[in-house]
Amino acid sequence: MALLEVEDLRVAFGNATAVDGVSFSVEEGRIVGLVGESGCGKSVTSLAVMGLLPKGRGGRRAKAPEPVQAAAAEPAPGAVKAAAAAPQAVPAGGGRRSRGGADVSGRAVFDGTDLLALTPAAMRRRRGKDLAMVFQDPLSSLNPVVPIGRQITEVLERHRGLKGAKANQEAASLLDRVGIPDPVRRLKEYPHQLSGGMRQRVLIAIAVACAPRLLIADEPTTALDVTIQAQILELLKDLVEDEGTALLMITHDLGVVAGMCDEVNVLYSGRVVESAPVRELFARPTHPYTVGLLGSIPKLDLPIHEPLTPIRGSIADVIRWKDGCAFAPRCDRVAEACVDGEPPLIGSAHAHRCVRAEEVA
Amino acid sequence: MLRYTVKRLLQLSVALLGLSLLLFAWFKALPGGPENQLLPENATAQQREALRAALGLDEPIWVQYADFLGRVVRLDFGSSLSSGRPVATELADRLPATIELSLAAMLIAVGVGIPLGYLAAKRRGSWLDFAAVSGSLLGTCIPIFFLAAMLKVVFAQELGWLPTTFRLSAGTEYTDVTGLRVLDGLITGEFDVAWDAVLHLVLPAIALSSIPLAVIVRITRASVLDVVGEDYVRTADAKGLKPSVIRGRHVMRNAMLPIATIIGLLLGSLFAGAVLTESVFSFGGIGSFVYQATTERDYPALMGFILVIAVFYVVINLLVDLSYGLLDPRVRVRK
Ligand SMILES: Nc1ncnc2c1ncn2[C@@H]1O[C@H](COP(=O)(O)OP(=O)(O)OP(=O)(O)O)[C@@H](O)[C@H]1O
Ligand code: SF4
Ligand SMILES: [Mg+2]
Repeated sequence: MALLEVEDLRVAFGNATAVDGVSFSVEEGRIVGLVGESGCGKSVTSLAVMGLLPKGRGGRRAKAPEPVQAAAAEPAPGAVKAAAAAPQAVPAGGGRRSRGGADVSGRAVFDGTDLLALTPAAMRRRRGKDLAMVFQDPLSSLNPVVPIGRQITEVLERHRGLKGAKANQEAASLLDRVGIPDPVRRLKEYPHQLSGGMRQRVLIAIAVACAPRLLIADEPTTALDVTIQAQILELLKDLVEDEGTALLMITHDLGVVAGMCDEVNVLYSGRVVESAPVRELFARPTHPYTVGLLGSIPKLDLPIHEPLTPIRGSIADVIRWKDGCAFAPRCDRVAEACVDGEPPLIGSAHAHRCVRAEEVA
Repeated sequence: MLRYTVKRLLQLSVALLGLSLLLFAWFKALPGGPENQLLPENATAQQREALRAALGLDEPIWVQYADFLGRVVRLDFGSSLSSGRPVATELADRLPATIELSLAAMLIAVGVGIPLGYLAAKRRGSWLDFAAVSGSLLGTCIPIFFLAAMLKVVFAQELGWLPTTFRLSAGTEYTDVTGLRVLDGLITGEFDVAWDAVLHLVLPAIALSSIPLAVIVRITRASVLDVVGEDYVRTADAKGLKPSVIRGRHVMRNAMLPIATIIGLLLGSLFAGAVLTESVFSFGGIGSFVYQATTERDYPALMGFILVIAVFYVVINLLVDLSYGLLDPRVRVRK
């Protein structure tokens, strides 16, 4: 059994569904990518696994929001009638950090325990120890008024019982491990005294401080300079390979996926639409969305005048997965069958969620 | 931190110097010059000249200013026109009462306001939040004078739980050390005196605390709500830290920044409220003194008062700045 098995994870903020039945798994010691465009639910998925989403109303767990009936809406193009249904499943872009909490359902089985079923206190004992996370924005993710040394030692104290000089020593050696020169002096410094790359190294040091078995990195390099990005990715890769840590790498950058990951899950509108070993995915992308993603990255070997092909429409044009393929409004190959109920996941090692993949390919 | 402190001290002396200039100018601009306030109306020209010479008013203006400054530094504000006693002595007699009252009020405001504001933020939308927010609205609307009188009528006069007036019960023997009765009682070991002083402080301090308490509740609530949504709090959560550590080290330490500034501002403004509260409870602070000095145009007394208050403001400001430097490393001078 895999180290982490996410099964049918659903997260709703009030009436807005952010994650709509995500399933994937991360094997011990592997680097697994989670890719998809902005707003598809990558961060929400990882926060749900970490138990970091604001709690929803009371015990009411993920009551599926009522679908909005297709009433007056115009018939969708291409005779896709159902496409008009449930137009507001996911609010476009905005609406982050809404007041209400998240209603989470499904399972996230980590090493045999369903994390979603743990009490908050039990989850706190695991967070930072068995599974840890690196966030996107290193400046805002560090406490501005606490020396970075303390921000490292507090996690050592919490999970490894290290205190005082011992903790400081360990913190310094962690900084050393993540490639920060003069670590003993750096311990006393504050986040604003470090560069962006250094800050991300500090966050990585914090995350690996207790040798977690699973590390989740949510776009760890998007806030950094391009030159720094490569260094940070290299560092992450080295660290997890040294320790045999499993890494869930969240990104929208297929270059990062190609360079780092063993496997990859492509997320669209809160659900996995294709998952495969990395080479396989790049060699034989099956789902039209994946094909589109690959088609929208610049290739160095193409003639300059060859236009990039962006995926038309936006993630806001959406159908609820249980009514049909959520990608249908943007798909070139869409047909009646696509919106005739929930498209199943087909295949295992290389799985996709497209009813027409075989017949078109 | 040392350089930061020195810089602040320098800025502060400049502010005080500016203030002394203003006061000096005001003094010079008094109708007919200050000697008129000191002389009987039928004074002769010789008497006038003699007094002007005695006051140094015939010297060049910069000499007069230097002289004025020298006296101020020595706390020599002259004698009160109404009582004839040195102004410095009068102030020294009365200030401790006002300081004790203000400190007690601030202690209540901070001690109740910050936890209450925190809880209101954490249970946003709950009845507690609602009560805290509407209560603090009420707190800022009720005139202090009215609140003080109400408290006195209900808890002192009707229920008889607490004393109505003065700082100690009549006939209490006490030893004066700092002039702050509670502190003195604790220092000298006269705990019964300290307790008596506390009982006398309760009602006036509650009355005086109403506005700062209301302000602190709301600023704390807003500040905590702000900080709780910050990424670094999520990071702290991702480390699996205990809730108490997250609250103290990560939420409150950041939330304190705006709260500290507000506390400083409130301390300054407490003096105005203290004057009113003192009069209701016959508390014997500077309230009645200032009132009298104003009605009798006792300029030396007023000047002394203004200078002392100005120094207080400046010192409080310094303390706020320093605490800011302690709380927020980004404020300190970069190495
Ligand atoms: N606290 C919240 N309250 C309401 N909606 C939210 C909240 N957090 C996220 N969402 C919504 O959930 C959806 C998924 O968001 P998520 O942050 O997971 O996207 P993402 O894939 O990480 O995108 P990005 O690449 O921009 O980070 C979005 O539509 C977003 O608006
Ligand atoms: S199921 Fe249909 S609409 Fe969805 S991706 Fe496949 S072809 Fe396109
Ligand atoms: Mg994200």
